[in-house]
Amino acid sequence: MKGKKLQTLSFFLSPMIIMVGLFYLIPLIFTIYISFTKMKNWNTEKYLSEVVGFYNYQRLFHMFQHDPMIKAILLTTVIFVGITLIINVLGGLLLALGTFFVNESSASAIRLLWLLPRMSPIAVYSLVWYYFFHGSDIGTLNSILMKLGAISTPIPWGQMTPWGAWSVIIFVNGLVGVSFGMIVFTSSLNQIPKELVIAARVDGASAWQISRRILIPLTKWHFLYVLTWQFLSLLTTYPHLFLLVEWDLVNRDYGTTLALYVFNTAFGRGEQDQGLAAAAAVILSIIGILGGLVTLKVLQFERMIHEPRGDIE
Amino acid sequence: MRDVETRPRRNEWFIIVAIILVSLPLILGFLLLILSSFSEDMITNLSPNSFRPTIENWINVFQGKLAITGGIRQNILKITFNTLIVALGVSGIVTLISTLAGYSLSRMKFQGRKLMMLLLLMLHAFPGVALIVGVYLFYRLTFPQDPSMVRLYSFFYVVLARAALEIPMSVWLMKGFFDTIPWEFEWSGIIDGASRIKVWRKIMLPLIKPGILAVALFGFLAGWQDLIYVRTFLIDKTLATFIEANIEAEYSHMPLIAAAGTLYLLPTIIFFLTAQQLLLQGYSGGIKG
Amino acid sequence: MKGKFGILVALVVFFGVVASGCIGGEETSKTKTTKVELTGDFVKDVVAIGKALEENGINEVKFSAWGSGDPNSVMRVHGIVEAARRINKVWEENGVNVRVIITDKYYTAAFQDAYQEYLSKQPLGQAGDFFVNSYAFLPTLADEGYILEITEYANAYKSVIDDFYPSLIEASKFDGKLYGLPQDTEARPFYIRTDVAAKIGFNLDGLEEKVKNGEFTWSDVHQWAKKAKENGAAEWGLIHRKGSAHPDLIQFIFAFGGKLYDENSKKLVVDVPAIYKWLYVEWKFAQDGLLPEDIMSWDWAKQIHPAIVEGRTLFDIGGTWYWTEWQTKDYYGKEGTPRPLKPEEVQAWLAYTLFPAGEEGLNPVTLSQPFVWMINSQAGQQNPSYEELKELYHELAFLMIIKASDPDINAIHSVISAHLPVRKAAAELIRDEEWLNELKNLNLDLDQEVKDNLRDIVATTVHPINAKFLADVSYMLEYTKLAPAHPKYPALADIFKEALDKVLRGDMSPEDGVEYIIQKVNADPELAQNVEVIGEVPKDWQFP
Repeated sequence: MKGKKLQTLSFFLSPMIIMVGLFYLIPLIFTIYISFTKMKNWNTEKYLSEVVGFYNYQRLFHMFQHDPMIKAILLTTVIFVGITLIINVLGGLLLALGTFFVNESSASAIRLLWLLPRMSPIAVYSLVWYYFFHGSDIGTLNSILMKLGAISTPIPWGQMTPWGAWSVIIFVNGLVGVSFGMIVFTSSLNQIPKELVIAARVDGASAWQISRRILIPLTKWHFLYVLTWQFLSLLTTYPHLFLLVEWDLVNRDYGTTLALYVFNTAFGRGEQDQGLAAAAAVILSIIGILGGLVTLKVLQFERMIHEPRGDIE
Repeated sequence: MRDVETRPRRNEWFIIVAIILVSLPLILGFLLLILSSFSEDMITNLSPNSFRPTIENWINVFQGKLAITGGIRQNILKITFNTLIVALGVSGIVTLISTLAGYSLSRMKFQGRKLMMLLLLMLHAFPGVALIVGVYLFYRLTFPQDPSMVRLYSFFYVVLARAALEIPMSVWLMKGFFDTIPWEFEWSGIIDGASRIKVWRKIMLPLIKPGILAVALFGFLAGWQDLIYVRTFLIDKTLATFIEANIEAEYSHMPLIAAAGTLYLLPTIIFFLTAQQLLLQGYSGGIKG
Repeated sequence: MKGKFGILVALVVFFGVVASGCIGGEETSKTKTTKVELTGDFVKDVVAIGKALEENGINEVKFSAWGSGDPNSVMRVHGIVEAARRINKVWEENGVNVRVIITDKYYTAAFQDAYQEYLSKQPLGQAGDFFVNSYAFLPTLADEGYILEITEYANAYKSVIDDFYPSLIEASKFDGKLYGLPQDTEARPFYIRTDVAAKIGFNLDGLEEKVKNGEFTWSDVHQWAKKAKENGAAEWGLIHRKGSAHPDLIQFIFAFGGKLYDENSKKLVVDVPAIYKWLYVEWKFAQDGLLPEDIMSWDWAKQIHPAIVEGRTLFDIGGTWYWTEWQTKDYYGKEGTPRPLKPEEVQAWLAYTLFPAGEEGLNPVTLSQPFVWMINSQAGQQNPSYEELKELYHELAFLMIIKASDPDINAIHSVISAHLPVRKAAAELIRDEEWLNELKNLNLDLDQEVKDNLRDIVATTVHPINAKFLADVSYMLEYTKLAPAHPKYPALADIFKEALDKVLRGDMSPEDGVEYIIQKVNADPELAQNVEVIGEVPKDWQFP
């Protein structure tokens, strides 16, 4: 590469490379190393010099084989990731499309409303749904349904296995996830040339037709992007699940995903077992990477990183 | 860009009503939260006598007290300020870095480009919470000996470490946005002899404002919300850790938590509206003329 | 481009320079006092340390105090503030120009969270110099070297150490060495609603004795609970905590003569017969409609406390701190607007005994979870010349916790937070009505900031009735058990809770519950290594 091009390239890329290198790659290598030690309680001096081989991995696999909960957890993970993913992507798209066709102030209000879950402190957000779905008559949903006469005794939503618990965790996480797609799609819709829409309007097209023919096809890249990134996030997320289980709102077996299970084992039982958490992270990310690669292959990855246009040299 | 005026009004109302219907649980949930902050009891079911209005909760929150008797007072203003620093820091850094990197990945051909993008994608598969031990090790190695530098360094480090987690996603997003701009725009600039950097700054950035909004918003939220990194690295407290440190199901007075939670929402709402206003005002998008 | 890289290199170098501490030089040390022999005479020792610090050019010592727990237990932090003030006074009176300043007071609601934060911040030198937390974490903290060993210092202060209750000093030890001083403890009364009892002819006179003798067992509890429900005197026979089996429900294991820990093998124990009986008893209560099936999911503020306060249950398994909790929060909603209970009402409506024996021939129990004053192994690190004067700072920190253990500080904490005193001198103060009056009016020799902070708690909690309650339950400490301070215990307790929840809901029989516990223990190899499973499910065991 020519000198000038290298110079320009490093101007644009070096901040990212340095940041990612220092705070992502190096810690990642550390973490992989730590997964081969018995580090706990943040005591780096004591434990890091001793490599114990695959101890943590063996421990995890033993738990996967013998824990009576594990089948429920794996099933929950699949259902949770699958359904929440669909809700997040489609919901985000629909909201973006919907707000596209309404006036700006309403659109802004709607966007703000749907951003609230993402903006709330996790504990408070969980508290809202804890009271909403509480299984007794103090629960909001129960009291509404009882007042409407739809049910006569309160329903323990989160404790009905498996679909009750699944519905609650999907709902709670879905509300947070939808806003990601919504913002991305809104921004991408904003970049579509006005003329295309004006022309279609003049021809008498309805909102639905405009969406189908013009808007959606032009957001294809962003659709794939949201799908892939949400998938990876959902596989490893657990903060929005943790308190729901901790506060006994949802049944533990069907409210725990694999990510929550492994991190609870490492951090949630009084100990801070960093070695185990590191091993769990490696396993989760391998699953994620494999899943991500499959997704990209199926959705034609090549198209997403096609050759850049307009490169001069 | 908004849809043009030739649309029928009727349809617009239909869409709004449909969205409100779908949003009902969300509206209800948050409404009850905000109401509870003004009540002596948490309003959870719709029995009218659970709403006992008071502003006591808010007074307590502004005094930095999250317990009705006892507890230790904190300086809520300082805590909010700390949170703002982290959030704005993360937002600023992520936006800057991702617009830089996203542009070059979109426009410039170089060896290792595809590999770089793939690598960024793979990194996102790794859960940040487990990464933290590696980040911690690095923190220990670079920790300043001089006690007066420690507080500053902890802010610096938290912002950088948290921002780094958002970068892969943001770089991809910005690249996607740059991809949608036809390269004819820069072409004229480059023909005239302007450097890439100038073209990027003067021509591309203004065209990419919606993307910048998205990335800046996500960055701000990431910094504002962050619990784990702040709790581990930052010496000071932020609103997120403050609320979380005071919530214990067994004896917390929940309306106080509701008030703190509502307070927490306000700066993010302001940020969103301001950023939206700044970035999307007068933005027309598409090819001009 | 070169410019950009250059700046980067400069930054890295800068970091390196700062990290290596080249900024800020070290002075050559002259021969000055860097250690003082503790004599046991408090004033003498404090002055000696003060003079030594002054000699070394130190006029200010900065310490930070970390505590955690319910909102009324703020003395866990303010005790340090007050201790600092008392030491500063001694120095002033003796012409020593040094002062202790408490820089950071950090208080968290959940002590487990405070513990985790201490773990991550201590190696960075950013954790509190003083740390008050549960005895259960002391062994791990000691083992990792995060807290200071004070055996040697304590030897000089034997008279103070001897005034603490011996079992609590034992809980503050690891491997035979002392790592802290007891800060508080508690008991877990078994509460009974006197009004509901009256309605079913349940005579509570002499009940305390009967429970102590093991004459009143859980079979009797079941009998009366059933009667209360059948007569319509109460909606429930029994209420207890939600969310976890530890600490309240672990008492069942002890009440049925089981154990949780083996001293010899240093392992946790799954005592199958005792656990089976525990699960069976709770299961039976739930089956008979005496205990809510979903009690583990109940809401504290809206269901559990109101049920007890409004007399909708006959029995409750609770803690001493409930006594003042009911007087602070609005749980009583029977007469219109919800309000707190008055001390007289609590006294009139609630009787309390030990946790009854499981069955004939066994003993009643209670459970305590003592909190301990611990010192950071790097206490004083915020101060100049730390490496040189370490010993002095550590000795000063030790004297700080000795002072924070002053009888009146401990007594204040006990009364306002409904915990039990840890030393005999403090227990005596609580019985002193005059002293209580002084406390109520905040007419005691206390730091002004502490007084301001305590004002509203004192107003609600200081009352002769409350003090009497504390004095009355002190006897329970003679029967108390402690959960094992083993690092794997929380994991085991968590498994207990899971099994209990399933059994209560009817998803599992008690026998399956025990099977489930064993399976879960064995699923995690590291846990299995630390746990012994002993005994078998008893056949033909009847309850009630």
